[in-house]
Amino acid sequence: MKEKSDPKCILGYTDTETVMLDLDNTPFKGVKYWAFRTMRWFKLEGFIILESSEDHHHVVFNREVSWSENMRIVAWISLLSHNPMLEKWFVMQCIKEGSTLRVSPKMNKPSPRIVFRHGKQDKQVREFLSVRKLVKKIIWKAG
Amino acid sequence: MVKKIAVYGSYRAKVPVWRRIWKQRKDGIKQRYWKKTKRLKTVRASGRYEFYGKGKDLSRAVARAYRFMPKDFVTVSAREFVRHPERYGFKGEWIEREVRS
Repeated sequence: MKEKSDPKCILGYTDTETVMLDLDNTPFKGVKYWAFRTMRWFKLEGFIILESSEDHHHVVFNREVSWSENMRIVAWISLLSHNPMLEKWFVMQCIKEGSTLRVSPKMNKPSPRIVFRHGKQDKQVREFLSVRKLVKKIIWKAG
Repeated sequence: MVKKIAVYGSYRAKVPVWRRIWKQRKDGIKQRYWKKTKRLKTVRASGRYEFYGKGKDLSRAVARAYRFMPKDFVTVSAREFVRHPERYGFKGEWIEREVRS
């Protein structure tokens, strides 16, 4: 019988028009605060929070933005939140010219799971969730 | 704008060794050349694929990407990668190491 492979690469979702945040070493309360503040300030309509591991969260906002506006928003949060991990992530996204968030499991961390939803979910959040579903299907088929 | 699936991480792959040779040209100048040898060496590196395309192509491309390691940072259509994976990567295996997204 053919043995199933256990791939060790990481699968993620990359987009330029979706505002995404990778908030590491931030408790859920802090993530929620920054998500609400950003959503209100930039009129981003809605968001979802995903927990990638303990005190590590991802935030995806609903409104479609341009790449320059996207980076303007992430720069604003990274400056105000004083989170060095977010600053590092922001610089890396600028170099790549696209925001990436992990979808698959990584080392001993499971796939990020949705822990909070707020506001509208009909544009970029919906898009993100459909790609996430596709990636999970691919992992399931390959695994 | 196209949505992309990123496949990234650290890998171990066998790459051909390039040999440096010097040649005396007719005009007297000594010129350096690089020659690809048959010998292979194992290298540890990190790379990344950015695939775009339809669901079926993406699924096939990711399955291929499990065996073909990326040559640095590769952005390619999933369909194109499925047709010619050897153009964009070399054979190897992914290894578990801490990498940032």
